Amino acid sequence: MLRISVDTGGTFTDVVVLDAAGRLEVGKALTTPARVFDGLATALETPARALDASPADLLRDAELLIYGTTSATNAVVEKKTARTAFLTTEGFPDILLYREGGKPDPFAQIDFPPPYVPRYLTFEIRERIDSDGDIFVPLDEASVRDALALARAQHCEAIGVCLLWSIVNPQHELRVGELIEELLPGVPYTLSHRLNPVVREYRRASSTVIDASLKPLMTAHLEMFEDDLRRAGFAGELLVATSFGGTWHPHALAAKPIYAIGSGPSLAPIAAAAYVRAELDTNGEAANILVCDTGGTTFDVGVVVDGRVTQAAESWIGGDRGTGDIVGVSGADIKSIGAGGGSIIWLDSGGLLHVGPESAGADPGPACYGRGGAKPTITDAAVVLGYIDPDFFLGGSLRLDRDAACAAISEAICSRLPLSVEEAAAAAIEIATVNIVGAVKEITIARGLDPRELHLVGGGGAAGLNIVPIARELGCHSVLLPATAGALSAFGGQFADFVSEFEQPLYAETRDFPTATIEAVFARLEDDARAFLDGIVTLDLESSQIERWVEARYPGQVWELPIALSGPLSGNDELRALERAFDREHRRLFAVDDPGQHLECLSWKVRATGVSAKRPLRALRRGERDRGVTTAPAFFAETGLVNTRRYRPGDLKVGEAVAGPAVVLERTTSIVIYPGSAVTVTPLGNYLIDVSAESATAVPAQALERSGT
Amino acid sequence: MSGFDPVLLAVLASRFESIVREMENTLVRTGRSTVLNMSKDLSCAIVYRDRELLATGNGLPVHVIGMEALAGAVAVLHPEMRKGDAYLHNDPYRGNTHAADHSIVVPVVVEGEHLFTAVAKAHQADCGNSAPTTYMPNARDVYEEGAVIFPAVKVQERFTDIGDVIRMCRARIRVPDQWYGDYLATLGAARIGELRIMELCERYGASLLKEFVDAWLDYSERTMVGVIRELPAGSSTAVGYHDPIDACPSGIPVRVTVSVDPDDAMITVDLRDNIDCVPAGVNQTEVCAINNAVSGVLNSIGGNVQRNSGSFRRINVLIRENCVVGSPSYPHSCSVATTNVADRIVVTIQRAFAEGWPEHGLAEGACGMGPSSSVISGNDPRRNGSPFINQKISGCQGGPGGPATDGWVTYQNAVTSGLMFRDSVEIDEQKYPIRIGEIRVRSDSEGAGRRRGAPGARISFGPRFTDMEAHFISDGVRFPPRGVCGGGDAAPSAARKVLRDGSEIEVPPISAETLSPGELLVHHTGGGGGYGDPLEREPERVRADVLQGFVSFEGANDRYGVVFQRAVLADTLAIDDEATLRRRADLRQKGTK
Repeated sequence: MLRISVDTGGTFTDVVVLDAAGRLEVGKALTTPARVFDGLATALETPARALDASPADLLRDAELLIYGTTSATNAVVEKKTARTAFLTTEGFPDILLYREGGKPDPFAQIDFPPPYVPRYLTFEIRERIDSDGDIFVPLDEASVRDALALARAQHCEAIGVCLLWSIVNPQHELRVGELIEELLPGVPYTLSHRLNPVVREYRRASSTVIDASLKPLMTAHLEMFEDDLRRAGFAGELLVATSFGGTWHPHALAAKPIYAIGSGPSLAPIAAAAYVRAELDTNGEAANILVCDTGGTTFDVGVVVDGRVTQAAESWIGGDRGTGDIVGVSGADIKSIGAGGGSIIWLDSGGLLHVGPESAGADPGPACYGRGGAKPTITDAAVVLGYIDPDFFLGGSLRLDRDAACAAISEAICSRLPLSVEEAAAAAIEIATVNIVGAVKEITIARGLDPRELHLVGGGGAAGLNIVPIARELGCHSVLLPATAGALSAFGGQFADFVSEFEQPLYAETRDFPTATIEAVFARLEDDARAFLDGIVTLDLESSQIERWVEARYPGQVWELPIALSGPLSGNDELRALERAFDREHRRLFAVDDPGQHLECLSWKVRATGVSAKRPLRALRRGERDRGVTTAPAFFAETGLVNTRRYRPGDLKVGEAVAGPAVVLERTTSIVIYPGSAVTVTPLGNYLIDVSAESATAVPAQALERSGT
Repeated sequence: MSGFDPVLLAVLASRFESIVREMENTLVRTGRSTVLNMSKDLSCAIVYRDRELLATGNGLPVHVIGMEALAGAVAVLHPEMRKGDAYLHNDPYRGNTHAADHSIVVPVVVEGEHLFTAVAKAHQADCGNSAPTTYMPNARDVYEEGAVIFPAVKVQERFTDIGDVIRMCRARIRVPDQWYGDYLATLGAARIGELRIMELCERYGASLLKEFVDAWLDYSERTMVGVIRELPAGSSTAVGYHDPIDACPSGIPVRVTVSVDPDDAMITVDLRDNIDCVPAGVNQTEVCAINNAVSGVLNSIGGNVQRNSGSFRRINVLIRENCVVGSPSYPHSCSVATTNVADRIVVTIQRAFAEGWPEHGLAEGACGMGPSSSVISGNDPRRNGSPFINQKISGCQGGPGGPATDGWVTYQNAVTSGLMFRDSVEIDEQKYPIRIGEIRVRSDSEGAGRRRGAPGARISFGPRFTDMEAHFISDGVRFPPRGVCGGGDAAPSAARKVLRDGSEIEVPPISAETLSPGELLVHHTGGGGGYGDPLEREPERVRADVLQGFVSFEGANDRYGVVFQRAVLADTLAIDDEATLRRRADLRQKGTK
């Protein structure tokens, strides 16, 4: 039986087909936004040919299909979501406007961003609950009826409800929900305490309206996709990717579509973890991994610690803090910066070199595409340096114009800096590397992780251009670059677990701790978690886990840290152990702690994980040596222009090692082996780069000895 | 590029900025009082040796510009600095902003040489003043002000607290555990900075970093020179007024003269033609006088310059001894040096630019720390009556219109320029025994203009259980932010109180109010002034303002001359083009009469 995983991006649809024996086939096609199934069907043609079957055969033979999509992200960014009304507590109609304050730059003058829901679709509900749950102003149902009548008159297609302190006493929100069902039957709505029960009204309100605004669209999208699959003969289980870096059933995602935002990138760390498991010897321990996914416009970085993708609730959409809207729900912690292959290289007025964040996009694209782009990009720099073969870009499907790349860099940079065109190009790659390293440090060091102790995995079409200098800057010794780097997220879908979180905020302190109350909270949350896990139909579960967490802080702080709990907090010993664990975590993250203080516990969390049975991987098919190794000049800062060997995938056998300088021209990415580094083809046909190797033999032997099956 | 590798220049500049961001993050995440952990009233910087401001991250202009003076004071008083030392510094007469900003200064000693200084500054919830507030507007002198002063006092040796100093703070600062938590957060930020700078020194070597600093400051200066050379030569004087205080019953005039000399590439701000120090807490410290003048200049000439000593070589701020806008003469109080008169320096410079150089400068933005920014204190019955004190930050005062952009809505005040964050209603109510009544946009409070100011807000709050004190220092009640180049003035700020019977009364704009349960303190916060003729504002923008609740239908008609086909708050709202043309012609005619 086959497993098919799909990642539908804004431009490309990637598909990965894995059979029971671990044989892997990859396909790619243009995304067809009006009917995503069509793009999938096209993408399946390549794997189908390889398996002597038709796309329909593959679908019929599939027991499981995992679907990740950027459609929710794109709908929000492009403002194509439903017309949504916002109902909130009287007196606070501007929560979504004011946000949390902050401005990206003190001296730049910029227009203030409009709120996610316009004020004329915002309605105040007469009611007020206090911080302890007491009702200060009872719910005035007439104000709800008026609001709903106005929402109907304005043709609202969805409703988000966020009342102050609904997380402590949900009575009023629940009643508003009933009234919506009575007065506007069929109109989808979201209640804030159910979606995202966190303290901080802006974060909860923003999650709520974004979620509501996605409901009509995502419900239709997922229904249509599933119908198309069924019509094509797919009879297996359909799972969809979520921002947790896990999967849900489509109906669950349709009910909370905000979890579709960022679901594609959140699968990249899953893929990385699968590759590391298969390819590297981690002494039987769960690996700590750094995943760098470099696409056309952005560089995305995520981290896997002890085998799990790190989570955060800090992602903004449509801009950053101060200019965008917060997503507000917990999800894989992926940081994104404008440093992709299409990022533009430019000089400021003082002559300082910059790369990005502006991107040339796909159209006109880099200057070397020859489609009228005049500004130089990282891709142009790579062509100038000889890192990309202009005749073998995307397997030769797009012929690049090296002269145009040289001219663009010469014009934009060399006319004002005393650098040759190659030096300017190398400098641009170095600046892009520094920007990337800065972003990586923010997600690692600032979270108490030392990048030198992480396994680095690269992915994305542009990763191979500078993954070696990135690794060197970070102090990592080796990099694993999968041959399927261009479809990392789709690959990750094959290995995603079935994951959800359940949370109940309830304030308690570790002095005078209400053990029985908190145990009752956990009992309820664990019931929900078990019901979630019972929903799995055909996915083989290797095991399932239910873990407890608490969000805690020192007295007076407002930013909590998640601390894992090993069991009930039934007595003094357990509570002191929790305090000590918190002290350690605080010191690890912030260099200081305050031992002896009690903790304020804000929220209680249960994470349910249905661990999918991971299929073993087998080596990718590799072509025959097709035309022999060629050489061409390439420029490196250390050596200047040197003759450099260029390998195509078929030129390298499993176990074969090559010392830099060299370039491996994979179909979807160019892997630059810088002088002083070396690459080895792993048993599964991926690339393991030793960034500090004196020679190819320096690659850790155990990585070569391990069998891939 | 003066010989230094241009690529390495960009690389190292980026590394130093990353370090400052990590320091800021540490302080926000670990601070105890909401003025730090929610509102981000804090800043971090890296100083080269004890004299050059090198990297400032996203620090508040009023905090970071001039931070090198803190390092300088430590170097003078402690020439024997060692690795492991940390200094607590809040002395307004030795380079600090005001007594409520506690700075932790950590020298980074490399091979026995003091090469860099990591500085973290945090506004405190309390600093031991004679009244429960960090701002003492009417203090006759520093003795009446009462803050505990630490003139660059060594607070750690060999990475360990010096208990004497900690005990002094605990003895005199309200809610000492909160103070100590904030101290740890600030110390942690400075130590993180120290650690990262040491790593950088190990990697690149001290001599290369020294060369980098010279090259980077030169580059920054060159950028600034380029910007100044684009401006026409000229000079412009403007006068602004802070609202009356007890010591100055008709208000405090702030007179600035800005001169631009493109040939020498210098901008000079002359603050000397102002009144002497006043027997009140509103006097500027020397560093505030300079950093607010620099802020006013940078706001006016665009954002694309580095915020470091290199750029600032090209701004000359002239001050004199014993002047209300700096420098102060001892023992005058500078308790309120970071806001109020400070705000007025910033906005008056913006005004001078707008009047002297077309398409530059900004209108005046909201000023002062009115009731919505009160320092509140009392006891919390939910926590066994334990005391609390903290400054609430609503962040809802309006920013000024500019040549190209409307005002920033969460501007807070001129000295922070929107950089601070805002409190969450729920976090405030969880942490303090208060109930917030409302926070909503105050329609028609913006200064109209081709680019309008941002609107103010209506904000109210009060205690839930027992009496509570609220200290505040409004500005803009008597002298609201003014427009420039034909732009309108913002509505005045107003301080009010809702009594238990529901009636609303005026309260003094600078006051310490005791509030009882059932009462609400209300602040109608100020908007920002407008830039340019409101009759030239694109009707589509006015339509968006109306739909957003910033401008009423009457306001659109009266001040912008925009007429709609039907007054309906829905996206069907349509502009009546012909009636708008007629209305605008009428208003223009009336205006010229």
